[in-house]
This record gives sequence, C-alpha cells and structure tokens, in this order.
Amino acid sequence: MGGKCPHRKVKKRRLSHKTARRGKFLVKADDAVYDELLKLADAGKDAADASQQLPVDEDLPGMGQFYCLHCDRYFASESVKEEHYRSKRHKKRIKQMSGPAPHTQLDAELAAGMGMPDNGLKLMSM
Amino acid sequence: MRLEKCWFCSSTIYPGHGIQFVRNDAKIFRFCRSKCHKNFKMKRNPRKVKWTKAYRCLHGKDMTQDSTFEFERKRNRPERYDRNVTEQTLKAIPVIIKTRHERHKKHITNRHKDGKTKQRERDVKELEQDIEMLPKKDIMLPTQKPKVVVKVSQQQTEEKLMEE
Repeated sequence: MGGKCPHRKVKKRRLSHKTARRGKFLVKADDAVYDELLKLADAGKDAADASQQLPVDEDLPGMGQFYCLHCDRYFASESVKEEHYRSKRHKKRIKQMSGPAPHTQLDAELAAGMGMPDNGLKLMSM
Repeated sequence: MRLEKCWFCSSTIYPGHGIQFVRNDAKIFRFCRSKCHKNFKMKRNPRKVKWTKAYRCLHGKDMTQDSTFEFERKRNRPERYDRNVTEQTLKAIPVIIKTRHERHKKHITNRHKDGKTKQRERDVKELEQDIEMLPKKDIMLPTQKPKVVVKVSQQQTEEKLMEE
C-alpha cells in the first residue's frame, strides 16, 4: 500500500491502460481516409474494386480479406462485412466522406488571413 | 524562426509556445494551447466549433477576401538579404495592419447593418398585414382602404343573394 491515491493500489497503478486504448490509436484519421478515397477516385476505381485484391495478413481478422475502406475496419467474413455495410454508422461515415474535405493546416492558415504558400519557380522540370 | 498557425483555432504560435503532434504518417499538427490540443484529441471539427477562425470565416463573420491577405504567406524559398527591402517591409507592416483593421471594422458594421434592414422590412410587412389588430382609434388608414373593404362586402352579399 501507500502512494498518493488511497483508492488505487500499487498494482493497479503499475498497469498501463494504454494497451486497452490501443485500438483508438490504430484507427486511421479522417483526412487520411479521405485522401485514400480521393486517390482511388482519381485512378477510376471505387471502394468495391479496391477490396478485391487485398494482401493476406494472418494477424488481421479474416486474414485481412474483408475490409471497409470508409471506416478502416477489417471483418471476419463476408457476411459480417455486409452487415456492417447496412449499419447506420457506416452510412453516416460514407456521407461524411462524400462531403467537403476535412480541415487541414492550409485551411487554418487561410482562415488566419494568410495567402497561399509561395514555393517559387519550379527549378527541376520533371 | 517561423510564426506558425494553430491547426485548430488559426491563432499565431510564437516560439516556445504550444505543442506539436506528429502523426505516424509524418503530418504535423501544431496547437497554440492545451484547449486546442484537447479539442483535436476529441476529434472535433474546427469548422463546427464556433470560436475558431475556420468557423468564423466559413460563416461570413470575418472578412475573407481582401488584398491585405496577400502579404503574409509561407514562402518556401530562400531570399537574398537586402537591407532596403527589409527596411521597406518593416515600414509597410504597420500600415497594412492598420488598413486591414479598418476594413475589418467596416465589414463588421456592414454585417450588422444588414440584419437591421431586414428587420425593418419584416416590420413593415407585418404592419401591412395585421394593421386591423391595432385599436381603431390608433389607426390612420389611407382613404382608399375602407372603400376596398366595402366593395368586397358588397360582392359577398351579391353572391349570397345569387345563391339564395
């Protein structure tokens, strides 16, 4: 016993809760997902095309074969994935991703009354 | 040395202030104070939080398009030092800031004025529509109006007669 907090024992304090929150850090951020979708759209593909050729990964659920691009989630099987597609959360996410681009540092700078960045002349013609 | 802008609220971050977050895809997020950092961690959208510059610009609260915004920008190229240019720049800064403040003030007064005129329009419309709601001794109706009322009543009586 002992320490600062009378209700929290030493053993409890030693445990890190970071591992419990691990999933929160692993989820891709909104703007990253948005960029990915934009890249796909430029290549002329849609989300269904991209999910057909996925690399096999033993550590992921369903060997990493059933992936939702919008929500950045892996599923155990096709049926679970389909169920996810029908969920409210997924539909909300799609709506969000088809809307305006997420806030960026450039937006923040423009709002602060700065002009567009000046990169000068292009020196290398590639 | 650069004066960066806060990712969340767009305020200026002076050296030694704020906190910086580098995501694992090497994107940098700078925050001016813990308030902005916390709001970022809560995944709030600065466009939807009313006290940020992004919200204010998006909703027409602040001036967005102005020639004074063209001076301050990120210049990603080296500039050869020139004493005269530096001197002129330093002289220009307070002048530009002053004009910007004046224009901003004007923008805000115009913004406020717009609401007033609309309110007046609404008041006039209401007065036209519901003038009968007032007590009769207070109304100074134009002379044509009672005539119109009489005409309508006559028509109604005629129609009633026809029906009968």
